[in-house]
Amino acid sequence: MDLKMISHLSNLSKLSFTDDELEKFSNDMSSLVKIVDTIKEVDIEYNPIADNKNIYFNDLREDIAKESMATENILKNAINSDNCFVVPKVVE
Amino acid sequence: MNVTNLKIREIRDLLDKKSFSSVELTQAYLDRIKKIDGELQSYITITEDLALNSAKNAQNKIDNGNSSPLCGIPISIKDNICTDGIKTTCGSKSLENFVPPYNATIIDKLNSQGMVMLGKANLDEFAIGSTTQNIFAKTKNPYDFSKVPGGSSGGCAASVSASLCAGSIGSDTGGSLRQPASLCGVTGLRPTYGSVSRYGLVAFASSLDQIGTIAKDAHDCAFLLNSIVGHDDNDATSLKAKTIDFASKIGESIKGMKIAVPKEFYDENNGINPEVKDTVLNAAEKYKEMGAELIECSLPSLKYAVSTYLILSSAEAASNLSRIDGIKYGHRSTKGETFGDIVRNSRTEGFGDEVKRRILLGNFVLSSEQYNDYYERALALRQRFIADYAEIFEKCDVILTPTTLSTATGISENIMTPSNIYLDNICTVTVDIASLPAISTPCGYDSNGMPIGMSIIGKKFDEATIIQLADAFEKSFDAISPKLI
Amino acid sequence: MSYIPVIGLEIHAELLTNSKIFCSCSAEFGGEQNTRCCPGCSSMPGTLPVLNQTAVKYAIKAGLAMNCDINKFSVFDRKNYFYPDLPKAYQISQLYFPICVNGNIPINIDGKEKNIRLNRIHIEEDAGKLMHDDFNGVSLIDFNRGGIPLIEIVTEPDINSSEEAKAFVEQVSLLLQYTGVCSCKMEQGALRCDVNISLMKSTDTEFGTRVEIKNLNSLKSIVRAIEYEIKRQARLLDNGDRVVQETRRFNDNHGDTKSMRSKEDAHDYRYFPDPDIPQVNLSDEDLEAIRAELPELPNKRLERYINEYDLSKTDAQIIVNQKTVSDFYDETLKEYNNPKSVSNFVIVELLRRVNLGEISMDNLPFSAKDFATLIEMADTDKVSKNDAKKILRLMIETGKSSLDIAKENGFLIVSDMSKVDEIITMVLSENAEAVEQYKNGETKVFGFLMGQCTKKLKGVCTPKVIKETLEAKLK
Ligand SMILES: [Mg+2]
Ligand SMILES: [Zn+2]
Repeated sequence: MDLKMISHLSNLSKLSFTDDELEKFSNDMSSLVKIVDTIKEVDIEYNPIADNKNIYFNDLREDIAKESMATENILKNAINSDNCFVVPKVVE
Repeated sequence: MNVTNLKIREIRDLLDKKSFSSVELTQAYLDRIKKIDGELQSYITITEDLALNSAKNAQNKIDNGNSSPLCGIPISIKDNICTDGIKTTCGSKSLENFVPPYNATIIDKLNSQGMVMLGKANLDEFAIGSTTQNIFAKTKNPYDFSKVPGGSSGGCAASVSASLCAGSIGSDTGGSLRQPASLCGVTGLRPTYGSVSRYGLVAFASSLDQIGTIAKDAHDCAFLLNSIVGHDDNDATSLKAKTIDFASKIGESIKGMKIAVPKEFYDENNGINPEVKDTVLNAAEKYKEMGAELIECSLPSLKYAVSTYLILSSAEAASNLSRIDGIKYGHRSTKGETFGDIVRNSRTEGFGDEVKRRILLGNFVLSSEQYNDYYERALALRQRFIADYAEIFEKCDVILTPTTLSTATGISENIMTPSNIYLDNICTVTVDIASLPAISTPCGYDSNGMPIGMSIIGKKFDEATIIQLADAFEKSFDAISPKLI
Repeated sequence: MSYIPVIGLEIHAELLTNSKIFCSCSAEFGGEQNTRCCPGCSSMPGTLPVLNQTAVKYAIKAGLAMNCDINKFSVFDRKNYFYPDLPKAYQISQLYFPICVNGNIPINIDGKEKNIRLNRIHIEEDAGKLMHDDFNGVSLIDFNRGGIPLIEIVTEPDINSSEEAKAFVEQVSLLLQYTGVCSCKMEQGALRCDVNISLMKSTDTEFGTRVEIKNLNSLKSIVRAIEYEIKRQARLLDNGDRVVQETRRFNDNHGDTKSMRSKEDAHDYRYFPDPDIPQVNLSDEDLEAIRAELPELPNKRLERYINEYDLSKTDAQIIVNQKTVSDFYDETLKEYNNPKSVSNFVIVELLRRVNLGEISMDNLPFSAKDFATLIEMADTDKVSKNDAKKILRLMIETGKSSLDIAKENGFLIVSDMSKVDEIITMVLSENAEAVEQYKNGETKVFGFLMGQCTKKLKGVCTPKVIKETLEAKLK
């Protein structure tokens, strides 16, 4: 797997790597891809219907609103202010 | 009497007979943990006060005649199962200080029965891996502290093996209960996918993750499992099937039982250690002596097992772990001026290398250009494994395989080299891929005295039969405990 | 040069369920920040989605109203991307097997019908809300809206002008209101629209490069954004420049669109079937039961008003165009079955006051029954037409019943003929001079006499009766 692909994947993954790490991960990923590549030799087709778990409309959750959790518990593991999660200003 | 050596059923009996109290028992475990676990490191968090408090309450229940199967029984819980008000780190810096505001469904279930939680058991980061070494704790194998306990439920297996709890609850995504149980000389049970609620189990790979039990023997595993199974409205993948007593077939004759022995699992070209192979085949012979019939068969798609597993689990993990961004909980980087930078730096600082590799691989196989070649094909292969197993089960009752290719390796040897680490899972992953139940139980020891385990795979929902078989073997087997104080 | 605009819309509509799509938190609009959240919709580790039955039902209802095929097997997929309002870093949506496919919605512009085809309607979850604090340089995240069920209605590129786009969105809004699945309050974000737009020459065989304009939340901004974008792209093409495939944002203050991101940094969403959510199957019985719950849709109502009630097409359309108005009209008819008269009163009097902002159809201060009483009183000369209008105003102001108001204010006409006779005779004798003048051919004094009688006969009979009686007596 080349460095360009690794850097593309690291963008998708929201991960950063130093140049040295990039090299190392590129090697590791190449060996990993070599393992997973073995499935390319199988002639096989996915049939989504065969994965059907046979959940029917009546099995779905009934639409009843219940009490939510206290806001302080929702926020207790986060940097928060004004009962909200806080991030640097998002420029849209 | 050394109470920490007792099995869960024995403890139940003695607690009910008031031979000792749950508080005394809990204290005995805590004392032993203090002596041994500094070095063994099977626990990531020890909840001493909570345990003693729970024990007191449990004892009240027992005294008032309100006992239930797990009332007053001290157990350990893998640290990827959310516990309200108690740190749940998943062995990751990224969740180092995460204190869930809610309980996993199984924790609520266990609490309502008066379970005593001694602490949170160590694991590979996010249950990804098979050595139970992370930045917080490096768990040792109770049989040889220079060796790994296996993983990812290595803390569960080591704590049971070293008698630092009566039993343990862990999770299994690609063998994470059976493999460490095998390497630590105890019994590990992964039930049918969906039989235990996953609500509150921090997801690694949703379609494979399954909560199960580790204990000193199969009967204890069944006993524990009985207390946590059942449908949960909070988990849409949890099964609505009627629950049965998993110990119900224990003691029944196994005469005429058909045991499949698929040759690929014993093929030395796949890397099996000859000592392991011979030991498991000897166990098979023992079943034959008990009246079972051994049936040779084949699982030709086994060579694709590891690839299929890696693709499915990494893709799901990449997506599942995306929510860990440092914003809502967990490690938040102090570096970065924008939302994107903070998320990126928090994740980069919070995740270990193995987790990063799986995330990269997962996003690779899901990316629009690769999806059809990898992810979709892996979904197709999962269907093939299900079909192949169904075919074997047309002719057989259970399948017997080794749990691992070799016994525990040295901790220092365990520098990640993809070729060996990943391929090592070959004996366990197909069970997860095909959503089947399986149990691993000790069946011998290698020349260094390290435990060897065998796995019995059952039909969907047929845990009772594999438990019956494991129990039958255990009764004829002289298990050797690790030599600890 | 002149170009043909080629436009496709993606309309997001919030569904009116009680609870959120994947957890039991309330799905109501608003609320104090992060008070409608649980571990699930704030995406804590270990939580799992459990699909809301009513969200599925509402999506199917919308699909049926929009002439879609309903997929009996549908699958939820994860759409992966990082954004602060998306706490799982993936949105649960439907890509491969959406719940509805292949619909169509007819629109009408200046009497000309046109059919807009739908590609699909799928179910997904809404995101949280970001509030920007410029002073502290931070954004605050509120997840109350996160997890409210949405449907996304995706058209084929069949729309060719801002006018058609507007008519289409209005029609969608109408259908959603009739099926009762969405409030369609654009000012609350209950209905939001993305526009895909490209230009082509009439001689072109292929579509031009398209631009996506995200998140338009009023009819006006949809029209303005499309018109701006048509001009912008036409200018580029006229100059021989290329249109760049990109996502743009419409700025309401400037009335223009600005680039957000180009195709090059477009997301790779890495869609895959969500392993936490079992696929949904629908039986024939399920579908029939849901179909049976569908109310009369606007086109059927229009037919009924025109064919059965003999309303003009214009009047019928005005009433049908707002479901609340149409429902109120039908309810009023149940109390007083005079379709034309009620329709006149609704259109001329009721809607005038609604449009003036004095009342809202969602929250009328009187019942249909009382409203019916008022119209019936006017029609049977129990009150004058003019007083009927005054009564309506007082009903709004005081909340009292129409009959009470008529009584209290002396609007009620008793039609006591002996009293009429007596009073008119009295008025005539008191004004003998004027009577004389009238008899001598000065007919204009009739107005004076009429006025004198009216003053004294207030609440006794209608002006018509006064006029007739007066004429007879003067003969
Ligand atoms: Mg969408
Ligand atoms: Zn919620």
